[in-house]
Amino acid sequence: MAKAKVKKTTRKKKDIPKMAKELCEGMLSNLEKGKKPVLHAVKCSLDNSIYDPKKGYFTPGEKLVRTELNVSSVQKLARTVFLMDIMLNNLETGAVNTKREIYYIAKGMVKSDNFYKPIDFNDQPDSDGIINYICDLMEVYREELNCFANDRGGQTYSKNLIVTESLPDGTVANVDLGALGTTPFQPKNKPQVFSLKPKKGKIDFCLVVESEGTANTFVSNGFTKRNNCIVVGAQGVPSNGVRGWCKTIQDQLKIPIYFFGDLDAYTLQNIYRTLKAGSAASLVRNADFSAPEVRFLGILPEDVKKYDLYCYDVKEKDASEARALKKAKDVLKNDPFFQDKKNKKLADVLKWLITNKKRCEQQALFSVDPKDPLKPEKIILDKIKRGSYI
Amino acid sequence: MSKITQSSTAEYFAKNLQQVGFSSPLKAVLTTLKESVDNSLDACEEFDILPELHIEIEKVGKGSSKSTDLVRILVRDNGPGLSAEDLPKVFGEYLASSKFGRGRCSRGQQGIGISAATTWAQLTNAAGAHVISKTKTMKKAIKATVDVDIKHNKGKLKNKESITWDKKNGLQVEFVIDGRVQLNGDGGVLTYLEGTTLVNPHLKLSYKLLDNDLVKIDRVSKEIPKVPPATLPHPHTMKLGEFLTHALLYPGHTLTQFLKRGFSKVNDAAIKDFKKQGVSAKDLNRKMGQFKDSEYKKLFQAIQETDLGNPTTRSVLVIGEEGLAKSIQRLGEVDFFSVVTRKPKICDFKPVVVEVAIARFLNKKGSDDEPSQLLRFANRVPLQFDKGGCAITKAVESVNWKSYGLSQPKRSLPRGPYVFAISVTSPFIKFKNASKETIDSSDELVDELRFAMMRAGQKLSRHIKQEQKAADLERKKQHIEKFGPILVKGLVDITKANATRKKKAVAGLDKILGRDAKEAEAQLKAADKKLKQLKQKQKSKLS
Repeated sequence: MAKAKVKKTTRKKKDIPKMAKELCEGMLSNLEKGKKPVLHAVKCSLDNSIYDPKKGYFTPGEKLVRTELNVSSVQKLARTVFLMDIMLNNLETGAVNTKREIYYIAKGMVKSDNFYKPIDFNDQPDSDGIINYICDLMEVYREELNCFANDRGGQTYSKNLIVTESLPDGTVANVDLGALGTTPFQPKNKPQVFSLKPKKGKIDFCLVVESEGTANTFVSNGFTKRNNCIVVGAQGVPSNGVRGWCKTIQDQLKIPIYFFGDLDAYTLQNIYRTLKAGSAASLVRNADFSAPEVRFLGILPEDVKKYDLYCYDVKEKDASEARALKKAKDVLKNDPFFQDKKNKKLADVLKWLITNKKRCEQQALFSVDPKDPLKPEKIILDKIKRGSYI
Repeated sequence: MSKITQSSTAEYFAKNLQQVGFSSPLKAVLTTLKESVDNSLDACEEFDILPELHIEIEKVGKGSSKSTDLVRILVRDNGPGLSAEDLPKVFGEYLASSKFGRGRCSRGQQGIGISAATTWAQLTNAAGAHVISKTKTMKKAIKATVDVDIKHNKGKLKNKESITWDKKNGLQVEFVIDGRVQLNGDGGVLTYLEGTTLVNPHLKLSYKLLDNDLVKIDRVSKEIPKVPPATLPHPHTMKLGEFLTHALLYPGHTLTQFLKRGFSKVNDAAIKDFKKQGVSAKDLNRKMGQFKDSEYKKLFQAIQETDLGNPTTRSVLVIGEEGLAKSIQRLGEVDFFSVVTRKPKICDFKPVVVEVAIARFLNKKGSDDEPSQLLRFANRVPLQFDKGGCAITKAVESVNWKSYGLSQPKRSLPRGPYVFAISVTSPFIKFKNASKETIDSSDELVDELRFAMMRAGQKLSRHIKQEQKAADLERKKQHIEKFGPILVKGLVDITKANATRKKKAVAGLDKILGRDAKEAEAQLKAADKKLKQLKQKQKSKLS
């Protein structure tokens, strides 16, 4: 593999060991003086999320979670320092782990040394909570602490895209997506340094499809052969890998990105909004994990009418469906993204869902002309051409 | 057309004994005991005698019906005794009662229960009630068997003989019936005796149940409850039929006289208001016997529309906080308790007194996860069946006991080794059924019950909060010991600090966390002090 200069897309790497040491030094010195150490972490919740339409993603507000050392918090802080030590060790040695593995590492340490028995974790959510707290405290991603989630979603297909990846050992890998046959390219959840370029000319657009299965169908039916484009399968709520990947496509290729998914509150808030503006839970990393230029191609209420798409009635008596309606109402009331006038049209879609008590799935396009397998593709291309998106 | 025949009251009850508490062998034993004890206690109170009861229950063979035992139930009292003339009426005649419709807070009301027990004994063992009775004026006691003449609803005295009895006065009744004996649990005989002991502080009781040892319980009060005299009925508590029957007692009185003399809370002002409801002055001066049935309905409707004062609460009997507090100690070693006696209140136009005793016993079986024991009482009689439909249960379940420190699943009885004893006393308790097992729930009564329970809960919470504070202090101390060293070690490892710094940090941590524990200790002391004051108050009440 040849060594080459590649454009970095991740933010400047923080010196985490140094930050951790400073944090612990502060706590220790307070203890020596008999003073209660106080820690402040970003409050990662919707009520502390600021949506600036110019930036296009959620940033943290001024609210902080204040943790003062006392009898109630001593357990949490002891666990925090204990896990921080494990993760710093990982950074030093280059070892990586998932959250579940860290949970077991912690259990192993407790087992091997009775001294740590009081801080044993009963279940993974306990240790997950502490890992999240460490991230909020230091304003870092868990990936920066070498703690990675499973790779999920982001399978990418294109006949005209070349990805150049710069690896930590300095080598560079060139991947021609057009030469992968039926195999897709998949970004990882861990930070990767990519440089993207078209093989020829300029790529026309990128289509992110909510359902991985539907993305596969499009590609199998020749979508990427007929169109100079990129097709990405989101596989539900986008993982960090998918979110970072879409941002990379947006920033480097500067091509229009369209999201195609269901017409319901869950897709709009949990999937599309997360892809476009990030989430409240990841306030400290939305800058790197959101693609504000992504447009909502559909399904739109106008498509339901135009193509007479089959819709499900949302029955208020059904608990899960009633929750979907409640969610749509809550989103309009509490989510700053949908409250911003820039996203008024998306809010109108939510209002349509509440008024009409209906939901429509992306696969409904296959019902328009059941005998024509290319009909959904034709509709999508027509919508892009007509500007039928938000 | 088939011939229409007339049955006697006794015939009706003989065929429908399940309606009056004889629906199963288990209930038969409990109801027989209950009716005998109720009669004894009512008689003692009527004659100002401090009651002394002896009870024996034993299995004497196999019952005549399937899956039953032949059970002997004996109740002996030191009451006034009954004359030879009254014995068949009391034990062998239905609706022969000195208390029927009198509007007093007596245990028995209609004169059905004990005759039903005699009938049950007759039906299952071919012999009625075996009685020994002696009044003060008798030199010798009467020993006899009373049977119910079911055809004619009359008691029959059989095998009558005079015997020497070493008691000045008293009555002993013995039934041998088909039944089954259950000692513990909601429908248990022991539960009944515990309940009766609790609400009768003046009762001296001894009992021998099956093969168990003889148990003797001394009285804790020498005060005989004064059952307040009956008051005249209040027009708003009556139904039309009752109004008509009541009017028959005053045939020669004018309507005005009938209303003023036959009812409580009807005065001149009420008569004026009555006129406003469309009753003419002429009618007010008419004799009651001259009114037609159709006119009675109009009069009844008019009086229902008339503004009247609330019925008097003077007819209600109260056990009292002191009596309850002393009595509760007889049930076992009490860890702590709280008792509340509410002032008499009018609920649904009827005077009612609610009393609540909540206690935690040191030797009580049952873990923190099991529901507490609920003892319900109506006119000092334990209610042991059909708990779910009772106003008392509804009220207990609707109180948020969590706010008083008790654990409680949603809309359920609180959990833990507690006993909740709740008593409703009223001359007019509305029961759901003739066997008087559940009190009908009206919103007003449930509210009154809730108020009493909440007050008791507040008193109780002082003790529970003290316990929680103690646990909190312990938890805090444990936290310091457990987590402090791990925190310091982690910080020292990450910062690579030396041993001196570590030592200093440990000292600092102890200081910080010790400060927190000190705060908890201060809170504990304050709670302890409050609790001591409460206990002192309870102690002085009891002495």
